[in-house]
Amino acid sequence: MPIKILVADDEAAIARVVAMKLRNAGLDVTVAMDGDEAYRCAMAERPSLLITDLQMPGMSGIELCARLAAELDGGVPTILLTAKGFEIDELAVRGLPILRIMTKPFSPRELLVNVKGELAETACL
Amino acid sequence: MIELRRAAVIVLMFLGVGVGLHLLLDPLREAGEPTLVKAVSLAAGLSLAVLGLLGGYLVARLPKERLDAVADRLESLVHKRTVGLVIGESQADAIGRLGHAVNRYLTFVKDEIEQSHLTAKEQQIQMKVLEAEKRHVEAVIHAISDGVIVTDAFGDLVLSNAAAGQIFEFQFEPSVRKPVEEFISDQPFLKLLAEMRETGLFVPHRTVEWAIGEGDQRRAFHVTLNTVVEGKKRDRISSVVAVLHDMTREKEIARMKSDFVSNVSHELKTPLASIKAYVEMLLDGEATDHDTAQECLRTIAAETDRLHRLIQSILNLSRLESGLIPVNKTDLALTEVLREVVDVISPQAAKKRVALKADLAPVFFRVHGDRDMLYQALLNVVSNAVKYTPDDGEVRISTYLAEGAVVVDVADSGVGIPEDEVDRIFEKFYRARGAKQTAPGTGLGLPLVKHVVEAVHGGRVELETKVDQGSTFRLYLPAVR
Repeated sequence: MPIKILVADDEAAIARVVAMKLRNAGLDVTVAMDGDEAYRCAMAERPSLLITDLQMPGMSGIELCARLAAELDGGVPTILLTAKGFEIDELAVRGLPILRIMTKPFSPRELLVNVKGELAETACL
Repeated sequence: MIELRRAAVIVLMFLGVGVGLHLLLDPLREAGEPTLVKAVSLAAGLSLAVLGLLGGYLVARLPKERLDAVADRLESLVHKRTVGLVIGESQADAIGRLGHAVNRYLTFVKDEIEQSHLTAKEQQIQMKVLEAEKRHVEAVIHAISDGVIVTDAFGDLVLSNAAAGQIFEFQFEPSVRKPVEEFISDQPFLKLLAEMRETGLFVPHRTVEWAIGEGDQRRAFHVTLNTVVEGKKRDRISSVVAVLHDMTREKEIARMKSDFVSNVSHELKTPLASIKAYVEMLLDGEATDHDTAQECLRTIAAETDRLHRLIQSILNLSRLESGLIPVNKTDLALTEVLREVVDVISPQAAKKRVALKADLAPVFFRVHGDRDMLYQALLNVVSNAVKYTPDDGEVRISTYLAEGAVVVDVADSGVGIPEDEVDRIFEKFYRARGAKQTAPGTGLGLPLVKHVVEAVHGGRVELETKVDQGSTFRLYLPAVR
């Protein structure tokens, strides 16, 4: 199964730089500009990994992850990329397939290492 | 009757003495001195008779009449309901001494009565003063905005004010001297009072956080409890005093401040995240061609500017809301301010071929306002209208009088705002979905407009909007009459 990464962020510059880094590493990346668009993409493409911002217009990153977990078998493994790292409610993320939370500002280098690690864990690589 | 018999005896005695003298003088008479004898005996007899009669009269008269006079005087004093002297003249006899003693006693009694009257009057005055002070203290307690509840050692209500009545929904008059459980149902609060009654001798002061109500009705209080002790050894609790300070608003403000700091932090981190990420990409050689490198550098530059604008806007709005920027109000023509705004925005509109139409009334409607603040607010609204209107669209500005206010309508044919986001559009940092995708912004422009129009100038801001059709922002500013 081809590896697809879905990147969801309403900040266009962030979405672009993440996509650029992952594509440069040879990964297939789809970009969505908000939670609703990301949901539609995920339901259509069933990505191997979701990298999403937390606060987005409409559906938030956690809501997106929860909805995919409910509607897709096992959901989509997710890396949360957010400026609100320490304020995330633990109860809200319990039971969801959130592999890692990275706080902004972030290092694209470090993100790529984490993505490769998670994909290896889930035996996609 | 006794006095008459006594008088008769005395008269008879004197008569008897007189007769005796007369008889004794008989020999002299016989001795041939009849004239002398006759004269002496006559004089003696008459004198004795007169003396006898006079003595009898005095003895008969003085005790009874004097005593009658005393009795009459006493009756008169009783009738007049007064205390006075009983016997005017002073004599050395028994009645005189008795009268003198009675007078002294009555004088003493009068003094005591007068003193009692004075004392009673003073006590009455003191009672009135105490009553007035009590009413004053009660009025002061009722005027206190914090809730005050005072219970006695048995948990009965002694005193409470209107604020406490409003918190627990009871009235003081029908509840005084009744157990507080009869009209206060909040168990945690009752437990606090009970604990103070039990432990107040050892822990006379306590401060606790307490809340009442649920959801939107929830109110948070800072409760201060004190015990009042009495007794020589101060070993008895007489009262428990509870003062309830409503912290709901303060907690809300603290929460808003915390949220603001959190939001500011989040907003500042976002452009910083872009700057950091693109710098790293360039350093790592990820920009594989010139165009990509240029795009990275342009993004860094744009995000740096964005960060700067954000910091300026945050500082500006914070200073405005905290009152650090002085407000200088004068009567000014709003049309003139709008004309300036239109002049400034026109180049921006022209770039997008957005028609900027100003339908400003020729009559100068005047408002009492701060020119700089109103200029900034109007600039934000008009600038937004142009920013969020696609190319070849239209922005129309008009002014008119309505409801005693100068009304400014700014209507655009832009992206509009979704209905579920209308209530949030004036929140700090909030940007609607369409706005984010159309143009950059800080999310602080509209909060500034709302603050300037409503908080500073007493006006109001309204919004009509429809997605993909446009929005109309309507600003009401009180007109100068």
